[in-house]
Amino acid sequence: MAIPSHISDQLVSLARSVSNTEKATDFPFGFGQIGVHECIAHEFGDMTAITGFALTNVKSEGAVLWVRQYRIAQEHGTILKSGSAAFQHIKSHCLHVKTSKRMDALWAIEEGIKSGTVSLVIGEVDEADFTATRRLKLASERYGVPVVLLMPHTREGISACETQWRISTQPSALNPYDTKGVGKSRWQATLERCRLAPEHVGEVFDLEYDDETLSLCVVSRMGIGSLEKGKMSKITREAVPFRKTA
Amino acid sequence: MRVVVANRIAQTLNIHAGLAFTDARARAPNLVFEEIDRDADRLALQKLANWMVRFSPRVSVISDDAIVMDVTGINHLFDDEASLGKLVQARLSDNGYASYIAIADTLGAAHALARFSTKREHAFISCSGDEKQDLAGLPTRALRLSEPTTQLLRRFGLTRIGQLYELNRKALARRFASREAADAVVLRLDQALGIRHEPIKPTIAEPEWVMRLPCPEPVAAQEGVEYALDQLLSQLCRKLNNHGVGARDFYFYAFCTDGKSSHIRVSSANAVRDTKHIKRLLKEHIDTINPGFGIDMFMLAAARTESLDHDARPLSAEMVGNFDEEAFIRLADRLAVRLGEKAVQMPTFYQSHVPERAESFAKFDTSLMKEESVSSNAGPRPLRLFETPEHVEVMAEVPDGPPARLIWRRVMRKIVRADGPERIAPEWWKLSEKGARARDYYRIEDEEGYRYWIYRNGLYDDNRGGPPQWYVHGMFT
Repeated sequence: MAIPSHISDQLVSLARSVSNTEKATDFPFGFGQIGVHECIAHEFGDMTAITGFALTNVKSEGAVLWVRQYRIAQEHGTILKSGSAAFQHIKSHCLHVKTSKRMDALWAIEEGIKSGTVSLVIGEVDEADFTATRRLKLASERYGVPVVLLMPHTREGISACETQWRISTQPSALNPYDTKGVGKSRWQATLERCRLAPEHVGEVFDLEYDDETLSLCVVSRMGIGSLEKGKMSKITREAVPFRKTA
Repeated sequence: MRVVVANRIAQTLNIHAGLAFTDARARAPNLVFEEIDRDADRLALQKLANWMVRFSPRVSVISDDAIVMDVTGINHLFDDEASLGKLVQARLSDNGYASYIAIADTLGAAHALARFSTKREHAFISCSGDEKQDLAGLPTRALRLSEPTTQLLRRFGLTRIGQLYELNRKALARRFASREAADAVVLRLDQALGIRHEPIKPTIAEPEWVMRLPCPEPVAAQEGVEYALDQLLSQLCRKLNNHGVGARDFYFYAFCTDGKSSHIRVSSANAVRDTKHIKRLLKEHIDTINPGFGIDMFMLAAARTESLDHDARPLSAEMVGNFDEEAFIRLADRLAVRLGEKAVQMPTFYQSHVPERAESFAKFDTSLMKEESVSSNAGPRPLRLFETPEHVEVMAEVPDGPPARLIWRRVMRKIVRADGPERIAPEWWKLSEKGARARDYYRIEDEEGYRYWIYRNGLYDDNRGGPPQWYVHGMFT
């Protein structure tokens, strides 16, 4: 007797969510597992931080599809493979897709999930509404491919994602060899949404990334030093006016 | 104002190309004129050439008023040469085009005979080997020579092509003041007689495998187009399969009854012959096929073929592994067909110190899958690189270090930490790098923790233009 396809799909997604919950009790709370995961920039310049956060937290044995919406690439730059040792987490090929429209980018992400050949899809899109994320989530559960969305600080509205992180850049750690030099990267990550561990929502993590050992560690508040330096007391800056021309 | 073209009726009134319009009007008082639009004519001729692909795959536009078609080996499809000529002429006149047609062994001979043969009402068929005889009576200007050269030949008393046959080549060359003119005469004569080869450059890349589907009744419905595609595709794939090849480019043509044609083209990153996959790619653009007044022939062509061996699929799922290369390439194909070929990319690496050149995105190709990133002893590289370095205004410059403040995207940023520089010299051996200056790259961090990759374009005392400028090139994580 054959099990009807919609029931077997439900069984599969049930089995997957059970296996997810087992691992989702500590950091990063199921990030990078099956489902849609969002990394949102805290402020304008944090797009690089969320890219770093996503890259260090995913593990992909197979090929990866990386979808870029042109507008984001133009404002925040394009990814540079030689720029991060964290790319070593991606073991196989990485196919990049550049689109000008948001809908095309979302279509490409869905196409990647359904192709059955990539084991992870990373998408840089400026916005995705509930319908879009829900659609991606269903596809992700059905085909077993996780989706990570990197979104700028302008992202708002509700989402059907598994986890949602908001990440901001922090001053780097002290460089032991050069006190005036740049040290290890530090980010502050806030868990804004988590379906598997809702009790942890709202927790703030200070993270330090070691690009030599490729390890990400959660550092204590004390280690960072005084709180004034963090985002809590953000220095408000004013934009320089446009230069007046005659 | 001068007459540019003259049709048959005009020619009977002795109006010919080059005649002043006043003279022409004197001969035919009710003559009206229209300015010639060469671009539109050229475009129309090109479209007509595309449509003529239905007869032969090798069609080319050789001048403003001539299409050449290679009919080698296709005569048997149309009974014989005479009926092929008749068919082409009939189809052209159906669409309102008058045509002169000649079939000959060489391009030069066909060109001359189509224009200057005395019996031009029907297609002129020159039997193989008869060129010399057929051409002998034609005027020398039939040889596609420039106007001064023809005039010179006429002055020598050489008005017919036949007169050139007996002449000593050296003696002929000696009569011309310029060597080029003499060479041109000899070259064109040799080409017409088939002594020298003259290749045809087809407007559409010559497909290696073609399947045609003529329709007894013109097809006007979209379902008909899809049915035709299915039919042709299964035939073509069977044929490719039998020969053990796969193709990378597929063209699907639809020829309309009214002389228009439309086609779609899809490419694959590697050779394929999988019906399902090709159909999926072609279907993406099938709406662009416009049936118009009805399509009377479909054609599916495969180009860029490569040998493709049968691949034994592993029986056990465990042997498949977690990466299916075939499926990966198909994904790339599907994305490319919807979003454009340039949208699907893979990083490509190049031995260069200039960052934007060392790593860049290239159109996806299977060869890129083997590429490994070039490991170098270069300094730190940012995670995100701006497509073009962004100029920034800096404050508190010191000659041997990074600035203390900079304005990037209209916001003042105070720099608290920095390391560097990493000096990257320009690639002076490249022509495009002329005037390029050495760059000093710094990794800096502002008081909020944003980490930039900035560089100073030029040194202070390098005498290569004004004071050096600063640019932000990327951002570290």
